[in-house]
Amino acid sequence: MNCVELQESLAEIEDGSRADQRAHLKTCAECSALVADLNLIASSAIDLREAEEPSPRVWNSIEIAVRQLEAELNLIASSAIELREAEEPSPRVWNSIEIALRQEGLIRPPRSSRSLLPSLSSRWAWARWMVPAAAVLLIAVGVYVRQHSLAQQLATDLATHPASAAVSDVAIAGLNDDDLLQEVSEQTPAMKAQYADNLRSVNEYIQDAKGNVDANPNDEEARRSLLEAYQEKAMLFELAMDRTQP
Amino acid sequence: MVRPEKATLTDRDPQERQRQGSELNEAEAIERAKQGDAQAFQALYDKHKRRVYSLCLRMTANTAEAEDLTQEAFLQLYRKIATFRGESAFSTWLHRLSVNVVLMHLRKKSLPVVSLEETTQGGEEDTPKKDFGAEDLALAGSIDRLHLQKAVDDLPPGYRTIFVLHDVEGYEHNEIATIVGCSIGNSKSQLHKARMKLRDLLKLNRAEKAGKS
Ligand SMILES: [Zn+2]
Repeated sequence: MNCVELQESLAEIEDGSRADQRAHLKTCAECSALVADLNLIASSAIDLREAEEPSPRVWNSIEIAVRQLEAELNLIASSAIELREAEEPSPRVWNSIEIALRQEGLIRPPRSSRSLLPSLSSRWAWARWMVPAAAVLLIAVGVYVRQHSLAQQLATDLATHPASAAVSDVAIAGLNDDDLLQEVSEQTPAMKAQYADNLRSVNEYIQDAKGNVDANPNDEEARRSLLEAYQEKAMLFELAMDRTQP
Repeated sequence: MVRPEKATLTDRDPQERQRQGSELNEAEAIERAKQGDAQAFQALYDKHKRRVYSLCLRMTANTAEAEDLTQEAFLQLYRKIATFRGESAFSTWLHRLSVNVVLMHLRKKSLPVVSLEETTQGGEEDTPKKDFGAEDLALAGSIDRLHLQKAVDDLPPGYRTIFVLHDVEGYEHNEIATIVGCSIGNSKSQLHKARMKLRDLLKLNRAEKAGKS
């Protein structure tokens, strides 16, 4: 090991304690002095740890900054309360709540808003026929479900297919999805997309339920499910009517 | 290489012993500072200001920057103290926070935190200078603190960081590698080069003084 090699080796083994380092150091005063110097530098370094005292202005600025920070945080906290009632929910929110609660039977439509007296000049002609239409729908569904089980008992339902009977009853009553959507979009345009969505999902529900009843005519659960699907749709129409009335 | 233990420091520094005597109150001060007690926060500042400021000053070699960084470190302490859980010693936690503040500052200034020189480079610069005609430092037995301070300030920034973190602050090479984002080998070689450079600077300083008198 020569002097240069020894110096390079000090990066890894700083105290020169490895055998080949020791061998070189024994014979080389230069390198021994170097190792001693480096040791001294390293051990003196700790004296620098707390060597300096910061000027009092450092604490002054910290104090000012802390106070400013506190003031800002207080301002934020006191302004936060103004956010409490800052936002108005979209009408969609109440609509969804209303649908859910009616489906659970927890609230009923306000009776007073539904006048049964026909008014010839009313622009609410659509709303007037909505009441009987919804009723017809429910009756039709009831008839369908009863007919269906009866038909099943008599094993003669293959030709008549009562599902289409129920649908045609509804159609006769003038109850169709396009009318509803058109009316909603005229009276409460903001709600149109919501109703279209709801209609689509309730129609799918009805289709599924019908499929189940057709596949398992004796299944009580499937029949109840179909009835509920129709009730849901009727409720949707009822809701639309309530909303479009003044 | 034998590095002084904390006990050694305590033995020779009565101020430090006094501080250790008030160690019991630190936990209380921390708890109160967490609640926003300004007095407790100032007590923490008074206890740790020298160490933090010295670190900032050694790493930047600039009083104004060191003051700003000390302020920034304690403001961060103020904002973050609620997150101190006491898994580590408070001083360790605060010093690490301060180191990060300084390193962030150096990076913003695009100063090399670590010199990019290859570890294998055995240049002429690294061989001992024989032409100063000054005695070996070791023969003098001690290094004057102010001379060492001046020499550290004159180190290239990349060397300075590793030297301060390792020899002054007592971080291990693996910790330094994590903190500054370099390899352990890089940290070791930078430290070696920093010490070699310091030796030159100290000898130069001594030779200059000898020449003047
Ligand atoms: Zn040698």
